[in-house]
Amino acid sequence: MDKNYLINTASLLKDVSPETAEEYIQKAEQLTYKINSLMLARTDIDKLVGKDNINMMKDNHSNHVRFIGSILKNNNPQVLVHTVLWVFRAYINHGFAPNYWASQLNAWFFILEEILTEKSYSEVYPFYEWMQVNIPIFVKVSKEETDS
Amino acid sequence: MTVNNIQNTHFEFVNLLLSGNRARCSEFVKDFLDKGNSVHELYECILKNALYEIGKLWEYNKISVATEHLASAIVEALLNDLYSRIIPDVRNNKTVIVSCVENEVHQIGLKMISDIFEMNNWNSHFLGANTPTRELITFIESIKPDVLAISVCIYYHMPVLEKMIEAVRKIFPGLTIIVGGQAFNHAGNNIIVKYDNVNYLPDLKSTDRFIKTLT
Repeated sequence: MDKNYLINTASLLKDVSPETAEEYIQKAEQLTYKINSLMLARTDIDKLVGKDNINMMKDNHSNHVRFIGSILKNNNPQVLVHTVLWVFRAYINHGFAPNYWASQLNAWFFILEEILTEKSYSEVYPFYEWMQVNIPIFVKVSKEETDS
Repeated sequence: MTVNNIQNTHFEFVNLLLSGNRARCSEFVKDFLDKGNSVHELYECILKNALYEIGKLWEYNKISVATEHLASAIVEALLNDLYSRIIPDVRNNKTVIVSCVENEVHQIGLKMISDIFEMNNWNSHFLGANTPTRELITFIESIKPDVLAISVCIYYHMPVLEKMIEAVRKIFPGLTIIVGGQAFNHAGNNIIVKYDNVNYLPDLKSTDRFIKTLT
C-alpha cells in the first residue's frame, strides 16, 4: 500500500454539500477551541506531541480545520493526500508520536458529532474515517519519503 | 550555464542562505548574472528552488523556523537590490496590480511576478501579503489596472481566493485576472476553471509569455 492507494481511496470520498462545507468553515473557531481543550486535558499530551511542542500542536489544529474546510469546499484527492503526508512527515520529524494522530482523530469524531448538525456530520464523517483507517499507511509512506 | 550546473548551483546558494551572510548571497547573485544567466533563470532555478529546499530542511527538522525566516528575508532583500538592474527605461501604458489573497503571508513569488511585469515595461503596483478583499477593490477602483495578479501559497486559502475573485468580478466583470502560487501545485487549477477570464499561470516563464500576448 502506497501513495497511489491513498489517492485511489481518497477519490472514493463523496463531495459534501455546499451547506455542509460552509457550516464546517463557519464553525472553524469553535472546532479549533474544542480540539485544543480536549487534547490539552490529556495527561499524556507531552508524550504524544513531544517536548515543547504544545504551540506546534495548536498550530496543527488550526491549520487542520482551515485545510479540511477548503477540501470540503473543493474536494481534491491529490491535494488531500499530499498535504496529509506532508503533515505526518513534518510533525513526526519534529517529535510528534505516531499515536498522536489516532488520539487526535478520535477526539475529532466526538467534537464533530457534538458541534455539526446531523446531516453535516454524516457527510464529513467519511473524510475523518478515511484519515483514521489509513494512519498506518500515512506513517509508513511519510517515513519512506523522509528516508529517501 | 547548463541546466545541470544551475541545479547544482542552487545548493551552493542554499548553503550561503543558511550561513545568514547577506553580502555573500548578494555577491553570488551578481556573479550568476554577470556570467550571462538571465533574471528568469536566477528567480526560477536558483531563488525559487533554494527556498523550496529551505522549506524541506524545516520539514525534516534540520533547521529552525528562525533560520527559515532569515533565508526568506535575505531573498527578499536580494530582490529589492536587483530592482535597479531590472527596471526599464521606458514604460508602456499598461498597469497591473499584484497581490496575495487575504491572510496569505508568503509574498516572495508574487514579488518575482511583479518584476516580470516590470521587465516587460508594465507599471506594477505590488501590494504584497495579506491584502483584505475590500481594500483591494478600492485600490482597483482608483488604479483601473489592465490585469490583476493574485497569489495563493497555502491551499486552505483557496476559499478566500474564490471569494476574492467573485467580489472583484461583481464590480469589474471585464478585468483580466491571473492566479498562481504553490497552492496550485497539486491540481488546484480545477477551482478557477469555472470563472471567465481567470488564467492560471504556473511559473514565471508562462507569465512572461502571457504578458507578451497583452502588450
